[in-house]
Amino acid sequence: MRQGDGGLAARLLNAKARKYGFIFSFLVIPLILYVVFVISPYAQAFYISLTNWRGISANPQFIGFENFTRLLDDDVFWAAVRHHGLLLLAMPLITIAIALFFSFLLNLGGGSRGGKMTGVWGSKFYRVVYFFPQVLAVAVVGVLFQAIYRPDQTGVLNGILKWVGVHQVGWLINTDLALWSIMGVVVWQSVGFYVVLFSAGMSAIPSDVFEAAALDGAGRFRLFFSITLPLIWDTIQVGWVYLGIAAFDCFALVQVLSVDRGGPDNATTVLPLEIWRTAFTFSKFGYASAMGVALFFLTITFAALSLRVTRRERIEL
Amino acid sequence: MSNSAGTPREITRRQMLRRIGLTALVAGPAASMLSACATSGGSSAASPTAAGSGAATSAANPFGVKADAPLEVVIFKGGLGDSYATDVHEPLYKKEFPKASVKHVATQQIAQTLQPRFASGDVPDFIANSGSDLMDNGALQTEGQLLDLTQLFDAPSLDDPSKKVRDTLIPGTVESGLIAGKPYILNYVSSGYGLWYNGKLFKEKGWTPPKTFDEFKTLCETIKKAGITPYAYAGKNASYYQYWMILITAAKIEGNQLLIDIDNLEDGAWTRDSVKQSAAAWAEIGKYMDKSYEGLIHTEVQTRQNQDKVALYPSGSWLENEQKSNTPDTFEYAVTPTPSLTPSDKMPFEAIRSAAGEPYIIPSKGKNTPGALEYARIMLSKEGAKGFTEKSGSLTVVVGAAEGLSLSPGLKSINDAQTAAGANIVTYSSFENWYKELETELRKQTNSLMFGRISADEFCAKMQKKADAVKADSSTTKQNRTV
Amino acid sequence: MMATQTDAVRVAKASHTASRRRQKNSAGVFGALSHVALIVWTILVVGPILWTFLASFKTNPEIVGDAPLALPESFSWASWGRAWEKAHIGRYMLNTVFVVGVSTLFTMLFGSMAAYVLARYRFFGNRAIYYLFVSGLSFPVFLALVPLFFVVRNLGLIDTHLGVILVYIAYSLPFTVFFLTAFFKTLPNSVAEAAMMDGASHTRTFFQIMVPMARPGLISITIFNILGQWNQYLLPIVLLSGSVEDKWLITQGIANINTTAGYEADWPGLFAALSMAIIPMLIVYIIFQRQIQSGLTAGAVK
Repeated sequence: MRQGDGGLAARLLNAKARKYGFIFSFLVIPLILYVVFVISPYAQAFYISLTNWRGISANPQFIGFENFTRLLDDDVFWAAVRHHGLLLLAMPLITIAIALFFSFLLNLGGGSRGGKMTGVWGSKFYRVVYFFPQVLAVAVVGVLFQAIYRPDQTGVLNGILKWVGVHQVGWLINTDLALWSIMGVVVWQSVGFYVVLFSAGMSAIPSDVFEAAALDGAGRFRLFFSITLPLIWDTIQVGWVYLGIAAFDCFALVQVLSVDRGGPDNATTVLPLEIWRTAFTFSKFGYASAMGVALFFLTITFAALSLRVTRRERIEL
Repeated sequence: MSNSAGTPREITRRQMLRRIGLTALVAGPAASMLSACATSGGSSAASPTAAGSGAATSAANPFGVKADAPLEVVIFKGGLGDSYATDVHEPLYKKEFPKASVKHVATQQIAQTLQPRFASGDVPDFIANSGSDLMDNGALQTEGQLLDLTQLFDAPSLDDPSKKVRDTLIPGTVESGLIAGKPYILNYVSSGYGLWYNGKLFKEKGWTPPKTFDEFKTLCETIKKAGITPYAYAGKNASYYQYWMILITAAKIEGNQLLIDIDNLEDGAWTRDSVKQSAAAWAEIGKYMDKSYEGLIHTEVQTRQNQDKVALYPSGSWLENEQKSNTPDTFEYAVTPTPSLTPSDKMPFEAIRSAAGEPYIIPSKGKNTPGALEYARIMLSKEGAKGFTEKSGSLTVVVGAAEGLSLSPGLKSINDAQTAAGANIVTYSSFENWYKELETELRKQTNSLMFGRISADEFCAKMQKKADAVKADSSTTKQNRTV
Repeated sequence: MMATQTDAVRVAKASHTASRRRQKNSAGVFGALSHVALIVWTILVVGPILWTFLASFKTNPEIVGDAPLALPESFSWASWGRAWEKAHIGRYMLNTVFVVGVSTLFTMLFGSMAAYVLARYRFFGNRAIYYLFVSGLSFPVFLALVPLFFVVRNLGLIDTHLGVILVYIAYSLPFTVFFLTAFFKTLPNSVAEAAMMDGASHTRTFFQIMVPMARPGLISITIFNILGQWNQYLLPIVLLSGSVEDKWLITQGIANINTTAGYEADWPGLFAALSMAIIPMLIVYIIFQRQIQSGLTAGAVK
């Protein structure tokens, strides 16, 4: 390649060719895989949203935006949108709050020892155990919590409550409680992961920062709110993005756990579930795809947030 | 890999190209015209001989089955199990066509497994389309995916060639499988519906099944005092057991025409007095249920009944078999018809809902439709039907097939009830298969009604609203029934 | 750590002891409370898992009975036998390990290649390709199920593990590319530039310089992908139909036995199958927990 009498221009040209050759060779396989298996089905789904396709034959009838106008006064759809929004907000918030609390205890809760902030006694053990639920498949977790949330005294949770003397709770049949119960499962599963994630962030904070603060007589709460929190803010944002993506997977849990798949009275229905039902139970793939497109634009907002997080990281560099 | 072999793959590639190429680019009204032209060839190939796989027909081989053509059978493996297929029907088919291979697929997710296969044209030959994830038969028919079973019902019976198959079945069987006036569905299992209880427990306590709703409420009070939940159904996944009861009571008040009108999406059918009265009466019974039953699944409630924690449970005649492994010796299934509500009820107390259920379908684009028809004819022979009852514990629509079998207490009880009912049969509901959206709404509103969140009036209003919406939805093909 | 401790801090600490003593009382209460909180969560986490194991030894009436917290009356392995026989958990586990192993490996290879190029090279279409990948995060997978089925089918890959692997790779790319692009951007330029000056090719620079530098990020995304693909439920249902039961993956097996338990009311069998799915994962996790934690640590902080 380098042979010959190539002048500067030729060499540059050669370098440029090599660069583009390299870019091409690195992008071609991932792009082909992605376009064939992801983009092309998605593109078809976008087209299907403009048809009244029933999912069986190959002759969808084009009906323009009719599906979208019908969405506007579909009560169930809007209930699902509200719940999805709640999931995107509350679920990450609760998970992050609990995980922050525990990771603070596990990393800094023991005070300073030998010039280094330490966690409470046994923190290593807790960190390992808390991660357990994360390695369980969603299918397993769903089936498991069926038994835990069972609404009469045979449910594990109600069994415990009875022991304490509290009357049984209809975890999944109380319309005000059902969605929160399902959210509880997601939180239960995710906390351990974020404890590890935030622990990492906290252990990266130089210990003399804490020393200096401790010298100033800062209590644990001030240590947490005015030092720890701001310093691991970026990690928290990354966590928020992960959790937002995880909110999409909730529908498997809703499907297994909730009354009548999304009930009672639409109390637990989420968008992916409605899309699933519309497509696979009602065989209305056109309408279901329209919901999917709506969800797509809804989450574009979320994607924008994700992008902002990454831009931040670049600035810091 | 086996799925992608053979000719349908060519068709699929063509369809695929059209979808990503043509339809995606020409996204206008013209697109539908193009695709309509392109598929017109496919959807008309409904008759089995057009598939090109047939052999000559004869008296013994009325559908012209090719002796070595493979047959793929998909069985829903639910409460009935699938041994009736693997141990009875498939061996019978093989006996008739020793050279043919039979591929057996058992699944519980019918729709997820088969939807894509229908879309691609590579369909199995015979399907037990049941379970909570069954495919929408109405949609399949609309898309020309179902085989008209008229030739099956008109073929000579295996037991007596001088009779047509349709004449060996319980009356109403063929009609229950009509879509757009033609029989597309073979409803194979004859089920009786009512309130099930432990005969031994009732005898021991001196309780008698109620004949009227007043008696029903009195009995509920008595049972409640004995520390047993008087009545329950499973709200989490089986609220349809309950809406059957509501519809049966309404039909007893007004007559079967009500159920036919509901199926036909008649204006105001859901807000008629009969429905309102029935809903209100059942909502009263609902007050005797523990709230927690809304969060339980059917087997959980049924197991509680086996433990004598629940007295009366609405279900169909498959119940006994489903609970076989959990039923203690102290439990003996018995059934009673739903109580009468008003003195002016059109139907007597003895009237019972008895219907052909468990839909079996033959895809029109299967590779071996003659074989599938013959397979169905074998199912409808006495030998096939008897074997089915032995393996699954359920009666079939074949008249007299259970003769000589010793019936279990529950089956005997439903048999007696059916005899007592005579001609007073509450008809089936077709909207369950025709309009899944309406059915889903009914499940939801039934839970709301029975667990006290809405009144009977609201129940009727909400159902009517949904029925109107389905009626107005242009993308749903409307069906009609007269009987 | 002791060595790095400065004298200043040591002096400061000595003078600080007094004030620390004052805080000790409140610290005692705080410490006790925090231990209570930690133990409660431990019970919340371990309890359900333990309960699953116990339930697998119970009988049907015991599970559906009034005392959900009671110990089983007698320990019987019968349900484990049934589950093993019927649910083929072992077979599905091996299938899943194979599929997830191969697809994660190639997800990481292709994902990091694409991310690297997108992060560090300027060329026409760079942003467009990046956003194309990222947009994949915001559309529900199952809407694409039916069209996807056609694509896989027309390639003759339906009902094959290769098909599942390719699809897993493709659907993991948006997430992988999204996070690795950000990660590659944070790596310093100097080392790579020096290598290029020395005449290393772009490819060599990537594999020998950049990949080792990006190791922490790669590990944490690998863990994500393994967890995500291990949990996949919808894709296998569509891509591995009921006619190839011997190729099924673990989630299909569990869902299947859950439905079967619903129809046959075999709850102990269900919980035995769940236990069989849980135990290997826990063992693998406990063996590798140090690596997993440090991997996540390094990846996340960046």
